[in-house]
Amino acid sequence: MFRMIRSNLLDLTGIAAISAVLLLLSIISSISGTFQLPSSILNLNTIFLSILIESLPFVLIGVLIAGLIQIFVTEEHIRLWLPKNKYLAVTMSCIIGALFPACECGIVPIVRRLVEKGVPVAAGIGFMLTGPLINPIVIASTYMAFGNDIKMAASRMGMGFLIALIAAFSVSLLFKQNQLKPSLLSASHHHSSPLKSSFLDKLWSMLLHSIDEFFDMGKYLIAGAFLAAFVQTYMSAGSLLNIGGGIASSTLVMMGLAFVLSLCSEADAFIGASFSSIFPATPILGFLIFGPMMDLKNTIMMASVFSFKFVISVLAIVICTVFTILMLTYSIL
Amino acid sequence: MKFNSQQATRALILISFSIFLFNLHYTGEINKFINPKYDHLSQSAAIIFLLLFLIQITRVWSSAPVHTYSDCKKSQCCSLGHTHEHGDTPFTTKKLISCAMIVFPLLTGFLLPAKVLDASIANKKGAMITLSGSGNPDSENGEDSRLHNKHINKGTATGEQNVEEPGDDLTTGSENEMRSEEYDKLMMALENSEVIKLNDRIYSSFFEEISTDVNKYKGRKIELTGFVYKEEGFNGNQLVISRFLITHCVADAGIIGFLSEFRDASRLKKDSWINAEGIIGVTTYKGALLPYIKVTNWQEIAEPKKPYLYPITIRHS
Repeated sequence: MFRMIRSNLLDLTGIAAISAVLLLLSIISSISGTFQLPSSILNLNTIFLSILIESLPFVLIGVLIAGLIQIFVTEEHIRLWLPKNKYLAVTMSCIIGALFPACECGIVPIVRRLVEKGVPVAAGIGFMLTGPLINPIVIASTYMAFGNDIKMAASRMGMGFLIALIAAFSVSLLFKQNQLKPSLLSASHHHSSPLKSSFLDKLWSMLLHSIDEFFDMGKYLIAGAFLAAFVQTYMSAGSLLNIGGGIASSTLVMMGLAFVLSLCSEADAFIGASFSSIFPATPILGFLIFGPMMDLKNTIMMASVFSFKFVISVLAIVICTVFTILMLTYSIL
Repeated sequence: MKFNSQQATRALILISFSIFLFNLHYTGEINKFINPKYDHLSQSAAIIFLLLFLIQITRVWSSAPVHTYSDCKKSQCCSLGHTHEHGDTPFTTKKLISCAMIVFPLLTGFLLPAKVLDASIANKKGAMITLSGSGNPDSENGEDSRLHNKHINKGTATGEQNVEEPGDDLTTGSENEMRSEEYDKLMMALENSEVIKLNDRIYSSFFEEISTDVNKYKGRKIELTGFVYKEEGFNGNQLVISRFLITHCVADAGIIGFLSEFRDASRLKKDSWINAEGIIGVTTYKGALLPYIKVTNWQEIAEPKKPYLYPITIRHS
């Protein structure tokens, strides 16, 4: 009886929600003609929405996979495969990160658990750097965003992996302790193993997790898309070229932009590609490689887990490595 | 049983996204945002949103205490309170802001009409900089950027024209293999036809071809459609008959078009659409060689139903 009411209630809730939206839609469409906004606002809105519409499928696939991994793969699995030798472990963690299709939104908590359980902090960082950058969805979206051209996708992955390796090795040379905030070590509550629950339960919580993940990063995506659209509508190519006249400064400009925008790596290829009429390949690569590794949102999340000094050091190491490698490859190519 | 308003809000947002996307596809407005080639991707997004909505409504009515532990247990990150929000904890200003941010695109999407990109965007994109390919003062950079642009704008179709120096046999050879017979046929038509008619399908390929080897096409008749774009520094009789080329979504729109000259050019307002016939000539703009059209005949037309161009994708055969 109770069950019946409950299931009917769900149906009703669903129908109520859909009709509420449709009602709102019809009211809105009847009054929308009365708005007279400057055309630049409409341009801004159109570009903003187009970035969003284009990236939404990738974000959704991303959150679903993230949910899948969070629920079905435990940190124990990854830890079992990790070798005892420190350098081997760092290399290994970069490779695991490359195979692990995480999003930078979800990776910091995972890294924290890994480090908490005794994984060397450098290996954790290696995993964090390659995880969001190198994965099938990012490869696919980069490939498509750059007009089905494999060159950008390949350089993004190849150079990204090299940079992550160098950065992780530098971290392992500089830091020995786990660098976690002391308060977190004692105060963290350990969850019981979810192994007991059935497959369907797990699937269900995976989907619920995906919804949470979507709402978590949706706002960062929307903010990023809006900012990018704003830049496109109001900043002229000439002034952008003025900031980044030379190859070095334009690379730094794009890296800075990637940091501030804090885009999800699954969707940033489209935004990176939109700058390709303004900048040559190297600054765009700076945007595409640095963005998934470190960004504003990610750094804030890291600072809540690791000591401040450590976060700043990692940030500096990654910036230097990305910049140096890009400049080296630019002069060679 | 307890009604959870935050979860209900989330359910509403999810179904709104789904309806928003379905509505765009239903009305065809979607192609004011993205290349039709990727329609199916955004349709699947609408379906996923619907699916997530159906799952989310089960959380609207909770019989258990408000914070469901089972959710938290499996998400592995609730010890970092702010990094992961389940929508069960008390309502705060911070949440209101993040909720407003997610609702924002829905509101503007439903309220504001989709706009076809206009000349002001072309200006911001540095139309003449991209058209003349002299955007970068550094010559090395300039070449890189030019080469890159073509990759972007024309997708796989660009390969052959990308080669700046005809002597570069290696690249030409490998790229030739990718071209389909149909594409060859189209390009043959460009070589042989009496009047070059730029229809939407081949516009970008022909444009690229003509720009690459301006002198080859000098003196040929051409017929094309586009909107009027003018830039500071143009003479009164100059304008660009331009189009936007959309690789993916309008955010990556690149401008292509021909600098044109005719007596009445000053009369035409920017953003008005014209259909023009003329003869291809060669001119220099700020040191760069580019084609221009000496217009012999033109008429003003209404904005076409499909204002954007899309690059040709070539099947690998």
